[in-house]
Amino acid sequence: MCAISYYLERDNIMTTGISLVRENAASMAPPRSLWVPFPLGRPLGIANDPDFQHRVIAAALALFNSAQGPVLEDFPEDAPTQHTESALACPVTFVKPVTTATSWEDRLSDELNMLKPWYNLGKRRRNGRTLAGVSNSSIDEIIQRLATYLDTATLPITDLTWFKHATEDAKTYYLEAITAQPDDQDPDNLQTIFWTQTLLADALVILSEQLSSAPGLEQVARILVPRKALDRRANFSAAE
Amino acid sequence: MVRLADLPDYEREHLLAKNMPPLGPATWVASNKPLSELRIALVTTAGLHFRDDPTFEFTDATFRPISNDENANDLIMSHSSVNFDRTGFAEDVNLVYPIDRFKELEARGAIGSLANVHYSFMGAGLMPAEYQHSASQLAGMLKKDRVDAVFLTPV
Repeated sequence: MCAISYYLERDNIMTTGISLVRENAASMAPPRSLWVPFPLGRPLGIANDPDFQHRVIAAALALFNSAQGPVLEDFPEDAPTQHTESALACPVTFVKPVTTATSWEDRLSDELNMLKPWYNLGKRRRNGRTLAGVSNSSIDEIIQRLATYLDTATLPITDLTWFKHATEDAKTYYLEAITAQPDDQDPDNLQTIFWTQTLLADALVILSEQLSSAPGLEQVARILVPRKALDRRANFSAAE
Repeated sequence: MVRLADLPDYEREHLLAKNMPPLGPATWVASNKPLSELRIALVTTAGLHFRDDPTFEFTDATFRPISNDENANDLIMSHSSVNFDRTGFAEDVNLVYPIDRFKELEARGAIGSLANVHYSFMGAGLMPAEYQHSASQLAGMLKKDRVDAVFLTPV
């Protein structure tokens, strides 16, 4: 973002914007930048809160009044902390194994079928909005193909772009099911639910481990499972 | 929440590795109009696009157009990073791409107007200087759209 700001301003277009990592903006020094203390992925702070979002925007637009730059200001408000009573409270109870099936295909399929009504409910609540579908494959096809890699001990070597988009689609599908009911769940809690309580997370971690030991595919492994997810799983296992 | 002191070491190091020196001598365009007369475009690095558009590659300096008239609720995200929350964007497009907020500002006369077209990049995996060509291309398009100022959002 700092680079785009720099180059646009060099081409005579004024810029202002939001920075989520203050240190990055301080080092690159784009012309105008408002640092906000919000989680990555949430630059305007709070979903469905127009007043709060307007305050963030106003603070960033106010930087146009600065006489000279670069200017880096701090937004004075934190996003309110999400309540924690519902931490790890998920509409679907993930109990692994969810079935007596032994193949990945059957087990993941069972888990998916359990989630489908919740995903559909969430999609209706969001007036049809969903982020799933980047891969252009149905969720059934995605789950079936991911399971096949595991059941046949093969790796997705030929279509890595599809594979990456498909794994994100699957994660998106699960998280939209988990957030089917309106709530202000902490994004951290949602990630913990996904990475510690779902069979899909187990599948992605195994695939990531296999990719990380395959020559030339280490980078793909790194953009499959975040390091923090492995920490969550280790902490969860230790607590159990 | 992204205060580096609150993060695990490896995450802090990952983010600090993105600290880069300025790309060159400081650039600065002074405002010569009040905010209420500025024509503004939104530009995000969140990897947004419509379903029919090409997805972003793992590393990708290109950008996608987002018409001001199109329904932003149809936007999806093909960002390659796994290190940020996407559930908020699923809940409210404005959390990342605040188009409704800017339409409200336009309607109340707080800004002059909105550009005909807004844009999304996908900010991951490239060095900052690798965006130079695309950003210059974008500047040309923004000028044709008579844009005075850009509001940038990361993800």
